Amino acid sequence: MIRGGRSYVTSPPSFSNDAKKLLVCTGNTVSVFSAATGLQVTSLEGHTAPVTTLIVVPASSPAQKILCYCWTASLDGTVRHWDFSGPELLKTIEAQHPIYSMVIPSLLSEPQQQIDKRRQLSDKLVAYVSVEDTSVVKEGSKELRGHIRRFNLAKPRIPRGDTLKETAEPESIVISPSGEFFGIRHKCKIHIWDVPSGGSRHAVSRKMTLHHSKFINVFAFHPTERIVVAGDVTGRVLIWRGVGNRKLALGNQKKKVRAMVDLDNAGVRGEDDAESCTTWHWHSAEVNVLNFSSDGAYLYSGGREGVLVVWQLDTGKKKFLPRIGSPLLYFMWSQDPTLSSVVCADNQIHLLKMPSMEILRTISGIKPPPSLPRMYEGLASTVAFDRSSGIAALCTENYCVQLYNLLNDRGISEIQVCERNHQPGDEITVVVTAVALSLDGSVMSTTEVKLPEDGIGGLVSLKFWMSEPDSKTFTLSTIVYEPHRDAGVSAIAFHPTRRMAVSTSFGGDFKIWVCNSEKNQTDKDSSWICHAVGSYKKKPMTAAAFSGDGSVLAVAAENVITLWNPDKNILLSVLGATLTPITKLCFAGKSEFLVAASHFPRPELSVWNASKLSLSWSYGLRIEAVTSAVDSSSFAVLALIPKSFKTDESKENIFRSRDGAILLFNGSDPKPVSIWTVMQAKGGSISFLEGDKTQVRLAYVNGNHEYVVFDPNSDESHERSAVDYDGLVGQEETGDAGYTSLYGQLPDYDKKRMEDAESLATPFVSSERPWETIFSGSTLNFPPLEKLCAEFFESLMEKRTAVVE
Amino acid sequence: MEEELRVRLNEHHQVSKVFPVKPKSTAKPVSESETPESRYWSSFKPHSIPNLVSSISALAFSPVHPHSLAVAHSASVSLFSSLSLSSSRRFSFRDVVSSVCFRSDGALFAACDLSGVVQVFDIKERMALRSLRSHTAPARFVKYPFQDKLHLVSGGDDGVVKYWDVAGSTVISDLLGHKDYVRCGDCSPVNDSMFITGSYDHTVKVWDARVDKSKWIAEINHGLPVEDVVYLPSGGMIATAGGNSVKVWDLIGGGKMVCSMESHNKTVTSLCVGRMDSAETRLVSVALDGYMKVFDYGRAKVTYSMRFPAPLMSLCLSPDGSTRVIGGSNGVVFAGKKKLRDAGEKKSLSLWSVRSEVDESRRRALRPTYFRYFQRGQSEKPSKEDYFVKQKKGLKLARHDKLLKKFRHKEALVSVLEEKKPANVVAVMEELVARRKLMKCVSNMEEGELGMLLGFLQRYCTVQRYSGLLMGLTKKVLETRAEDIKGKNEFKGLLRNLKREVNQEIRIQQSLLEIQGVIAPLMRIAGRS
Repeated sequence: MIRGGRSYVTSPPSFSNDAKKLLVCTGNTVSVFSAATGLQVTSLEGHTAPVTTLIVVPASSPAQKILCYCWTASLDGTVRHWDFSGPELLKTIEAQHPIYSMVIPSLLSEPQQQIDKRRQLSDKLVAYVSVEDTSVVKEGSKELRGHIRRFNLAKPRIPRGDTLKETAEPESIVISPSGEFFGIRHKCKIHIWDVPSGGSRHAVSRKMTLHHSKFINVFAFHPTERIVVAGDVTGRVLIWRGVGNRKLALGNQKKKVRAMVDLDNAGVRGEDDAESCTTWHWHSAEVNVLNFSSDGAYLYSGGREGVLVVWQLDTGKKKFLPRIGSPLLYFMWSQDPTLSSVVCADNQIHLLKMPSMEILRTISGIKPPPSLPRMYEGLASTVAFDRSSGIAALCTENYCVQLYNLLNDRGISEIQVCERNHQPGDEITVVVTAVALSLDGSVMSTTEVKLPEDGIGGLVSLKFWMSEPDSKTFTLSTIVYEPHRDAGVSAIAFHPTRRMAVSTSFGGDFKIWVCNSEKNQTDKDSSWICHAVGSYKKKPMTAAAFSGDGSVLAVAAENVITLWNPDKNILLSVLGATLTPITKLCFAGKSEFLVAASHFPRPELSVWNASKLSLSWSYGLRIEAVTSAVDSSSFAVLALIPKSFKTDESKENIFRSRDGAILLFNGSDPKPVSIWTVMQAKGGSISFLEGDKTQVRLAYVNGNHEYVVFDPNSDESHERSAVDYDGLVGQEETGDAGYTSLYGQLPDYDKKRMEDAESLATPFVSSERPWETIFSGSTLNFPPLEKLCAEFFESLMEKRTAVVE
Repeated sequence: MEEELRVRLNEHHQVSKVFPVKPKSTAKPVSESETPESRYWSSFKPHSIPNLVSSISALAFSPVHPHSLAVAHSASVSLFSSLSLSSSRRFSFRDVVSSVCFRSDGALFAACDLSGVVQVFDIKERMALRSLRSHTAPARFVKYPFQDKLHLVSGGDDGVVKYWDVAGSTVISDLLGHKDYVRCGDCSPVNDSMFITGSYDHTVKVWDARVDKSKWIAEINHGLPVEDVVYLPSGGMIATAGGNSVKVWDLIGGGKMVCSMESHNKTVTSLCVGRMDSAETRLVSVALDGYMKVFDYGRAKVTYSMRFPAPLMSLCLSPDGSTRVIGGSNGVVFAGKKKLRDAGEKKSLSLWSVRSEVDESRRRALRPTYFRYFQRGQSEKPSKEDYFVKQKKGLKLARHDKLLKKFRHKEALVSVLEEKKPANVVAVMEELVARRKLMKCVSNMEEGELGMLLGFLQRYCTVQRYSGLLMGLTKKVLETRAEDIKGKNEFKGLLRNLKREVNQEIRIQQSLLEIQGVIAPLMRIAGRS
């Protein structure tokens, strides 16, 4: 089973100290990408719930740049310490409550210098975490669930900890780059604490608050000066200078100073402790990103409109990186001054070349589904599958089709369907409504609709794309403007073996298109022309499908199914009527059974026998997608579980949050062969993947574009489906992914070290003798070179080890 | 891996890209308009020689350079220079000339007329060298054998083919066999004593002068009165024209038909073998329907077809392939000239320049130690070992694109209206629709700009390609700007024109509907049967 399509953008990524790796939180794991190639190198697996925070232990000297340690915190209530070059888990700390955010000030303020010094300090490795107090969660209660607490990470189990602040929802904590302050935003306020110095456990953090009249979205601390910037929902960027000069610095003389409040604190609200507050207003919508450059001279801001703005802090001069095409979520700079990254809401992480702000490369996750206008909901087919290579073509927000390899969870390329820039937040005026791929994956077809303004200027166009032979991308072959006059295209289907396609329209006709390249053999100057037009009693044509051998074309004309000879364009026969208009049609493999699905106003799944022209059986199920295997007569449907069924008490446990089911049928048998329940089935789609003949797999992409590829016939997945299939999100990884899938599991030669709580930051020393084992086994399983070298040299200098011990 | 990398590297171009507005692409013809073949045959630059009296009955090119052209028209033969197509000399006959032929060295030519006399002329002298009188009826063709300078073949309406000794003005043999008028003949390109003749008795007969039983050695039945015959370059195959069909026969294989071409609509009058650039040969035919057709007899396919404004009588292609002449029945010679690439000359030139090229390359090799190295300019060509860094090509933005980029929508619309390119205007309008700004632009327009917009709408709103958008827009403009338009003198004319356009369009639509009403029942009946 392959699982993928996780979001890369749930929490900010982090560069490693040498800026060669980028760590990204991907669901329950942390994926490590190479910044040079943009490919995944390894992943840290161990958390059982989504990882929310990722802190790379910073290096204080150039020599330590190769150190690869990081802390992660997760909703499963644990904090873990990793060596991500390995990758290996060094330490796990139970925190009992789901952690939404965590900062460790001492990592920044007192960077590790020498190992022994660190070890002395290690007992006061204090972290501030934002947790959700699950003990007080009750339905409808107004308890403050979000707590900001102080933990000591040196202990393997953390007691309750001191609570600094309680909020309604868990907030994320922001720390200043110097490690002196941290704070949270809370509605229109920013609460800031200073980190008690000296390291005494019981020192109390002092707190101050900054006020604003709008909801604050994000804020950031200046690396050296006492400047706080905040971005609000209206797009303003506020800059407070001299923050906390009185309250935080002067400490005990707080009261005296407050008396001296004078009026020249321009722009500062009430009695906020700041010298001045200025406002920059460029962003038209909410600000999501604020980050200072490492020297504090520049401020990076970005927001919903997808433009990265660089402000010169002293002068307010701006520079832009426009047309990113998606709301920005995070901006991270790296130790390498020429590299930084910007994270977008469409699951893309762009690596920027720095002073020029060019996008060097993109780590592209699967893009989220586009938001369609209401009239196209349920009609658009925005996902298509290339069955042989396991590539999915997905319509995206920015008028592109993304090709995504489901088998190795990697974006391949993007094809610009409409030559337009996408501006997030603008009114949607152009929609890519459908994408279809031919069975061999060599031809793609898309339809787009330009919505009219005041009833003028609407345009429907149908495009045919040919795949490039070498790289997996497509080039435009033919554009058809208004293929069915002004009526919209309802479905596109490709002939299974030949270059032939059919498009059906709500305007009451369907057209068969053929490619004329067959005679001159060159794909380059091929074009598609209309071969035939057909209609049936002027009824809207809503779906189409070719039979397994391509000799019969089935077109749904509202609630009847018409069967045609696609070559001669002759109506062969008409299959009786369903109760409601058909939205999906599919032949069950090479058999004579025809599956039809309709959902409005009464959902129905019906299976017709095309040779006897009769209805075989039907269910009252709302179907989201239908797919059939090419060779066998089995087919699978993705059905939404009816609400009435779900509310049944006894079944509630089984379904929990899952709203859909994949049912596998075999030909005429109305009893499903197997059933899997899934989450977020609405808007999902399924397809059989038949790369190699021996293994038929079923791919399911859910409404959020997360996906799973599994073997429908293997016993292992049967078991899961029958008892308790854990849904998509909660499901533990069963197959190996990324690095481990390629090279196998690393040997656990340092298990013992993990148990040793004191050796938290001492990877170079070990109580055991690792060199005795490291060279045993396959060379593929060797640890990375820098680690290996260290170990090896240690083995040569045994004395040194002894001393440390 | 590398491939993947490349894809990723390409991606960043995609992210921040400006898309200039583009007009909708128009349909391309389904079939290829240009094949190498059609390019060759249409590259003859038309050049016609008008004002010759009566129809052009025969044409001939001299086989030696500079390939002067003999045109037989009415009772005279005119010689033209093939380079300038200017008339140089004219020979008069007693009756209408029916055929003309050059000797292999190009110094003499023979012609026959309807009085039955075959005459031989020196091209430099006005008077005939020999007059061969023997035909008792109009002579229809005369031919010099391929290399033989001493004999002639002629045929005529008396049904006799005569083999002449030119020097002695005597008939060597009378070849009897044709039962009707002999209209045409050709001599073998491989054997000087072999020739074929075609006759109105539907047959083509092959003769050999060495066999003197006055008996043909082979016979082919074309099935229709034969108008022209021609040997194909191999000498083993012939092509015959009769009625509206052209047939290719294999003589060596026993007179079997190889292929036939029947794409002419009227009688084919003349045949000729043409040699293309690629040394392939084609059969070219002209007919009374005014078409010249190029027939690829290897593939049995008509590869090119060209229409002329008169029935065509005769055809000839110059041996070097540079000139194509076709004689029309109205006394016009449709000549076509082609710029000849002097391949031979060039070759000799390059032979000469080999040495200097070597010198050149030695001279050119610049080293950083040379002074000239630093004087290289922009036009300096990269040498082989240079690593070529491609300059990023900037995107060219038109004025309206720049304005659209700055969100100055109305100005963009006005600037594109000034350009007077309707496709671009419509493209900008579509972009504005996508931005939901078109109606705002219209309502913001000032008077002069509104006039410009109305002028554009008046001119193009009924053009089918744009009418989908412009009809609706015109209505909206008139509705929203009614107050500004009403009563203004400068708009009166525009509105009147607009009204007229719309009325005309309505009339067209109505008549189209009527036609549809007529056709629909017919179609239905046709569909039923």
